Amino acid sequence: MTHFKVFFLFCFFASQVILGQNDSITRLREVIVSDVKLRKFSSTQTIISLNDSILSKNTGLLTNSLNYNTVLYFKEYGRGMLSTVAFRGTTSSQTAVIWNGININSQMNGSTDFNTLTSNDYNSVQVKGGGGSVIYGSGAIGGTLHLGTNLSFTNVISNEIRYDFGSFNTQNLLYKGIFSNDKWSTQFGFSRNSSANNYKFQDSYDWRGNQRFNENGDYEVNTLNATVGYKFNEKQYLKLYSQSSNTDRNISLLSSSESRTKYKNDFSRNLLEYQASFNKWTTYLRTAYITEGYQYFEDNTKPDYSFGNTNTWIVKADVNHQFNSKLLINALLEYNLTKGEGSGFGNHEREISSFAVLAKYEATKNWQNEFGIRKEITNNYQSPVLFSLGSSWHGISWYQIKANVSHNFRIPTYNDLYWESGGNPNLKPESAYQGELANIFKYHNVSLTQTVYFNKIKDLLRWVPGNNGVWAPQNTDRVKAYGIEVLLNWNKNIGQSHWQLNSTYAYTISQNEETQKQLFFVPFHKATTSLAYSYKKWNVNYQVLYNGFVYTQADNNPAAVIPAYTVSNTSVDYDLPILNNIKIGAQVVNIWGHKYVSLEQRIMPGRNFNMYIIFKF
Amino acid sequence: MKVTRILVVVFSFAFLASCSTDENENVSKGSYDDGVFILNEGNSSGGSVSFLGDDMTIFKQDVYGAENAGDFIGKYVQNIFFDGDKAYIIAGGSNVINVVNRYSFKLLAKIDSGLASPRYGVVKNGKAYVTNANNYGGAQGNTDDYVAIIDLATNKVESKIDLNATADRIVLDGDKLYIIEPYNNDKVLVVNTSTKALESSVTVGASANSMEITNGTLYVLASPFSGSSKIVKVKLSDKSVSEVVLPATLKGAKNLDIYGSKVFFTKGSSVFAMDITASQASETALFTYTSTSQYGVMYGFAVENDKIFIADGGDFASNSKAYVYSLTGNLQKELTVGVGPNGFYFNK
Repeated sequence: MTHFKVFFLFCFFASQVILGQNDSITRLREVIVSDVKLRKFSSTQTIISLNDSILSKNTGLLTNSLNYNTVLYFKEYGRGMLSTVAFRGTTSSQTAVIWNGININSQMNGSTDFNTLTSNDYNSVQVKGGGGSVIYGSGAIGGTLHLGTNLSFTNVISNEIRYDFGSFNTQNLLYKGIFSNDKWSTQFGFSRNSSANNYKFQDSYDWRGNQRFNENGDYEVNTLNATVGYKFNEKQYLKLYSQSSNTDRNISLLSSSESRTKYKNDFSRNLLEYQASFNKWTTYLRTAYITEGYQYFEDNTKPDYSFGNTNTWIVKADVNHQFNSKLLINALLEYNLTKGEGSGFGNHEREISSFAVLAKYEATKNWQNEFGIRKEITNNYQSPVLFSLGSSWHGISWYQIKANVSHNFRIPTYNDLYWESGGNPNLKPESAYQGELANIFKYHNVSLTQTVYFNKIKDLLRWVPGNNGVWAPQNTDRVKAYGIEVLLNWNKNIGQSHWQLNSTYAYTISQNEETQKQLFFVPFHKATTSLAYSYKKWNVNYQVLYNGFVYTQADNNPAAVIPAYTVSNTSVDYDLPILNNIKIGAQVVNIWGHKYVSLEQRIMPGRNFNMYIIFKF
Repeated sequence: MKVTRILVVVFSFAFLASCSTDENENVSKGSYDDGVFILNEGNSSGGSVSFLGDDMTIFKQDVYGAENAGDFIGKYVQNIFFDGDKAYIIAGGSNVINVVNRYSFKLLAKIDSGLASPRYGVVKNGKAYVTNANNYGGAQGNTDDYVAIIDLATNKVESKIDLNATADRIVLDGDKLYIIEPYNNDKVLVVNTSTKALESSVTVGASANSMEITNGTLYVLASPFSGSSKIVKVKLSDKSVSEVVLPATLKGAKNLDIYGSKVFFTKGSSVFAMDITASQASETALFTYTSTSQYGVMYGFAVENDKIFIADGGDFASNSKAYVYSLTGNLQKELTVGVGPNGFYFNK
């Protein structure tokens, strides 16, 4: 019952703040982005943008920032451990993560572990609900997450160093430097997040009566970023985006007697992009090289490990033609070659070519229509024709409506196809048809976005034990997922005081069509709220996360659930008056010290602390 | 609905408890005397144990959780063995053996060091012998399995016997241990408990999945990927071997269980029986059960008390079913147990 209470409270709260009025103008700096499609061809879907000030409220790994500010549900195997997402009731491999326009979901398991990414490495983090396979390819079913580096060609020299120190010997060090003029734009940075992560399990004792701790949970995530842009003239740019990261984590135990294992990940992502605009033509030529690797140590005291590596080359040609003031046509050609090698799946290569056409028709200034179609050619699976069709109408200043339908897919991964033994080379891609309708109300400084969606997914890949106990993937299940999302933003300035409120709520039904049961690890309810107040040099922030219960078994056994939980964090920071460029702050995480589990037996930390200092020069 | 169900359970247990204290004080040793424990393997978030009384009416879906609230039984529970008034529950994924009173199921201790993916155990003279699969991968994956010798007075692993091979199921006869493993071992390993040393092994062929000893003969059911399934009989006094090759249609047979003068086994969702002395098996099934599971058919199987017990793996993500049949194949009981039920352990 509690989740209903929370929802009604939320509605009540929402109706209160909508009445508030004030003017605030947000000026956007002209920046060059790599993920151009998100700007040009995603106007008929809902996008949440997390700006620097929101991202800086939750330091460290990306799971935190997204968990407290979006409708995404995270299945986190303990603090800092493997973290996978369920977006709009879909599985972890049905949310595509897009790095500067390139899909970086694992070729091996199809998903992204959000605790291998550091939120402050990016200056743009955006979450788009709904299908996007026409533009972004495999896995863009529940939604897409866009991580980007924006370049600007103005005279800037800026350096930022941030250092966090907190409970359980958690330390984050971040450096970001921007050096640009009207010809060159460069950004360099690195981040290092680490934690001993040996927190106490509140009120939890082992059979001998000893206090329990999070054992074998230490982690370390290091990332290096470099972006260089060169502007030949107003019409031609060359850009290089590069990132490498490695993650070294032990895997926390459910009980002390378990084997102590370790998991290492390495990623490198490189993208070279040439952009040229002539008359009504704009062309992007991109080439990318992405590598991904893991090493799993069954016993972290021994050198033996199992591994997997994939290297992917991508070449893209992207031609845009502005026929007239109303019609923009975009043709995309892409070639993708992946070579994979692993102790579990041998040595395999796969080639995928694809062709897509996108069109945007602005019937009037306030009425935009988008259409897209994509087809892939590959020997590995039968590829369906994908499409998307959307419309956005903004005829009244305070109201906008968006509608979108699309056909999306997810291709089988290396593990699905080639795992020894069990891999099934005859798998089909998962296929999803979806529709959504969004109403956006903006009144002065309040905006309320309400989205309903429906997603019908067939041929869902699932690993099930076969003969002789060997697990094998099958295209078994059909799922229908539908729900409502509500986003609310409000801000108000009174003299030197500034208030900002951001809230999200998602109601999700995701059912196995055969059994009519809710998919496990999909909550019916999730809500977040954050309220920020600043006065002169002081900033105060309070955020609340509510995760409704989830079933842990496919039969929706009411005894096998992860109970709902609410976690609140607060932070205060202050710009030091002596040195104008130093900010110091402190954060209390789980301020009320609630005991909760993120997954079965995965007890999360009680009240804990973090202090930070930011130098800008 | 849920509350009322709980109340019914509470009241019925209160009633049963009072019955037993009033009338059967000298007979019943606890709530779980005279019945069968059904082990539910579970998954990486833990397994469970169900209980069915011999009267076929008392049933409790999660015995361990009910008797030991707040304790974690462990991941992938694999096997139960008994000694005296104690039951030992092996949770392979957590390297732990939970020691409980076999009649009350209250936790007494945990054996939680010296084990590495423990699988099955037997007891002799106050010592438990438990196979440990140890590492699965790596250079030593197939040679580092061992038998842990546990002193049941202290619940500590006191020594190990290295096997230099893979190990899974284990049985005891006299002072000898017999060990098989279906994936990487085509031999029956023989270990002498008094010398704590390996003796010469007996080759029975690949994929030996189940075994039992009766009257000085070890019966091993082996179902290789290629070729017919066979029952290999090893005469323990001289390790001489003879075979009964099963008809080709019974390829993939498993779950050998000797009861009375019959050898029972399964193939697909069917149960077969042959006379222990027969030189050939009939292709006609005793009976076939209907499984809702495509992939977990006959995940657990036992013949005891003139009944045939079948556990169905289901989808390994939901509570699944166990069935009790008469020896002639009449369904007597259908139960909803836990996730991935894999075995039956009779308490008396």
